[in-house]
Amino acid sequence: MATMDALQPGAQPGVLIANLRYARRAEVARFQRADLVFNGVDHGGLSYEVRVFLNVPTATGATPRDPTKGYAGRFVVFGHGGCFGELGHCDVPSVRRDPTDLRPGHPLVPQTKIVTITTALERILDKRGTLETVALVPWIYNGFRRKNGCKPGVFKMSDVTLRTYG
Amino acid sequence: MAIRPSVEGMTAEQLAALRDAWTKSQALVDDRGFGYWAGVHGLPLPISCRHSPRTQNDFLFLPWHRAYLYFFERSLQDRNKAAAVPWWDWTSDGSHTRGIPEAFDTKKIGKVRNPLREARVAISPDDVKRVRAQAPGTITPGKVPYTRRDPDIPDELPRKATIDSVLAAPTYEDFSTRVENVHNAVHGWVGGTMTLVPVAAYDPIFWAHHAAIDRVWYLWQMSPFGVDPPAAMMDTVLDPFPMTVRQTLNINNLGYDYAVEVIH
Repeated sequence: MATMDALQPGAQPGVLIANLRYARRAEVARFQRADLVFNGVDHGGLSYEVRVFLNVPTATGATPRDPTKGYAGRFVVFGHGGCFGELGHCDVPSVRRDPTDLRPGHPLVPQTKIVTITTALERILDKRGTLETVALVPWIYNGFRRKNGCKPGVFKMSDVTLRTYG
Repeated sequence: MAIRPSVEGMTAEQLAALRDAWTKSQALVDDRGFGYWAGVHGLPLPISCRHSPRTQNDFLFLPWHRAYLYFFERSLQDRNKAAAVPWWDWTSDGSHTRGIPEAFDTKKIGKVRNPLREARVAISPDDVKRVRAQAPGTITPGKVPYTRRDPDIPDELPRKATIDSVLAAPTYEDFSTRVENVHNAVHGWVGGTMTLVPVAAYDPIFWAHHAAIDRVWYLWQMSPFGVDPPAAMMDTVLDPFPMTVRQTLNINNLGYDYAVEVIH
């Protein structure tokens, strides 16, 4: 697992690098599926996507999404575009533990996003033997497309985990 | 039983009925009209739409939007009985060539404005100010805000292979997660109003997009992988609609269906 605080800056402002090492071990059966699970993903701002590259620490917003060159997929966040209520309206309360509180959760409870990277990870392991880095390239969607691009501060989460399934 | 057609497969009569219903709906400013229904998704507050889970067993994205489409389509049929919300096949050759389907893109039909191209964003002046300040470009400038689009290149729309992989999801939670990601990507693809949760439903293409998402769910339900949502969420009420998750599961009980095979 890599927490948000542990991510390293990448080759362009906004790009983040997670050091998630994974090597195939002879004594462990090959996985049938591999997921990158992003927890605590913020969706309170503008919409954006996060492009995922394996072992491409130089990835930027201009890097082609080529599966043969480390591109593993993306997740897309449908954003709320900021707060439309009064002060405190968009403060997400802590998890309620009262079983008689039947109200639905706050609309801005952070989300979990999953990118299935089975084929991309297999390709990396077959080629290089080890996964070392996961580059995360956030790409913001503005109302004006010409202003879309890789921007810092767009993507916030709590942590990312690599999960494999036998 | 109403059959929801694909946008590209609509007959001239179906398109005329849809435009007639939409025009009449947009002219109504009370809780029967388009502005009211678009506002249920986002602004004016509260933002009622459901997307990714807020708690465990809370995968309400698909049933909530099925209920939403159901009630909106019924409101259209109150204006014109023959109206049915069509689904946008983003994977078709036509979509990958021209992008937004012609029925939703043409500016005028004769001398009349095409109601499927844009709509007034019926929110308060304070909310208009906030949308413009916080998310420039999502609505038009001027005294009366309208929806706007700024689409990406057509070939960036979802491909059949992507939908096939969504349809191979082995669990309800997995399916919901995968199809929601495709849904989010198309919102971003359309650009403008569609990129923002609070105003997206004011763009008429929102409804054809969501009919397509609903159809993918229907196809998955009929596939060997299709299973019901977890038991713990079956009796959840899809606020503000007086309908539970369980009541959304059989679309025939809701009075509509999709043609499974589509030939353009």
